[in-house]
Amino acid sequence: MAFQAAADALPYLLRAAGTTIWVSAAGMALGQVLGAAVCLIRRSRFKRAGALYVSFFRGVPLLVQLLLVYYFLPRVGIDVPPLVAAIGTLGLASGAYVSEIFRGALRAVPAGQVEAAVTLGFPVGAIWRRVLLPQAARIALPSLVNELILLLKASSLISTVGVTELTRASHSYAAATYRPLEIYACAGLIYLAMSLVLAGAGQFAERRVA
Amino acid sequence: MPTFLATRRRLLAGAGVAAVLPRLAWAADTLADVKARGELVCATEMEFAPFDFLVNDVYTGVDRDLMDAIAADIGVKVKYLDLPWTSVLPGLEASKFDICIAPVTITAERMKRYTFTVPIADATAALMKRADDASIAKAEDLAGKTVGGQKGTAQVAQLKAFAATLGKPIEVKEYLDNNQSYADLAAGRLDASVSSLPNLAYVASKRPDAFAVVLPPFGKPTYFSWVVRKEDTTLADAIDAVLIKMEDDGRMATIQKKWFGQTAALPKTVPTPAV
Repeated sequence: MAFQAAADALPYLLRAAGTTIWVSAAGMALGQVLGAAVCLIRRSRFKRAGALYVSFFRGVPLLVQLLLVYYFLPRVGIDVPPLVAAIGTLGLASGAYVSEIFRGALRAVPAGQVEAAVTLGFPVGAIWRRVLLPQAARIALPSLVNELILLLKASSLISTVGVTELTRASHSYAAATYRPLEIYACAGLIYLAMSLVLAGAGQFAERRVA
Repeated sequence: MPTFLATRRRLLAGAGVAAVLPRLAWAADTLADVKARGELVCATEMEFAPFDFLVNDVYTGVDRDLMDAIAADIGVKVKYLDLPWTSVLPGLEASKFDICIAPVTITAERMKRYTFTVPIADATAALMKRADDASIAKAEDLAGKTVGGQKGTAQVAQLKAFAATLGKPIEVKEYLDNNQSYADLAAGRLDASVSSLPNLAYVASKRPDAFAVVLPPFGKPTYFSWVVRKEDTTLADAIDAVLIKMEDDGRMATIQKKWFGQTAALPKTVPTPAV
């Protein structure tokens, strides 16, 4: 082991980790919005459309989705810049999983509570705000944190469309120095640190909503 | 039916999902396009030292030195993109950039699909062993041993052909990239790594404690070139003209000396592939 190699690589790996963080964060935000929307669609008359979305984005590997968006869309005249392709695809894929987490959490709230609220004359908005959402949020949180950590790690695939993130940077650095072990160990620790921050934030949120 | 088969083969070759549909919007002439926008967009995988690699996050190597000179000569600026190798050729076909400046070995199969420039470097297949391994003195000593290389490269194909001429077979392990093969060689899982001579010579010079090149190279003489889309012959011609000029005025030799420590004359036409 030559720890000097890892120490030399650290500034570049950290800079690339910055890309990992902000692209993942943007993908997560998009995923939450899409997930909520798809979840609502699945509870509406158009539930087929929602189910179709989920089967596609959950069923096709993220790598293939990235290739389709970046290399296939230009063939039909839609040119997508690398960052848009990366964030968009991460968000679309994450949205499928998140919508299922939300759907499951809503279903876990006993139906009797909603029936009782309707009987008591609660308006629809109040049923969502005061009965469904507070309980569903608590149920969804652990799975949601899980999904966010998975997305963070899945972001290692976006180099396929030319966005240099942490995994790609360590790959390149290992290739230039012929010291793969030290560099990947370093990258692994950075990923672990980022996941721990997410997990910590999740625990904090759980205490808040509990 | 033949079309269907060809399409299937493309898919299987992993050349990309993008290759299946017909091209809809296409620039008539990429060279004219490049001159109009004043910028040539090049892509490569920056993990192929000494041709393409990053030093302190700055793109460096043989290809960069050559391309900087060529772009200056044509009178355009140049932009470099870093893509994983699996994305480079699909990206070229999807017109995400103008030229692939990763060194591509000229083979008959690839010439059907792309237009090659004149050679930019020697690509003859060679072997590298652990520096302390005294059991291997020449390529033939690898009979009955294990050798690793990058999947789908012309160098691995040559190794397989070479192995067939030996008394005992060589076990060939194929990796996603050369660096994994080097790592397994260092770890003792392989007895040798196969790649092009310039690549191996560079690795051995960087880690002389770990690696040594087995000389002379065993492969037939082959060459690395750059690749443009099949129809972009005017772009290839313009680049060829500058490459030949650099070969004549000694700039090519200077770059070779800098990266390989020696010079070698290159063919001034695209050679008929030996493999």
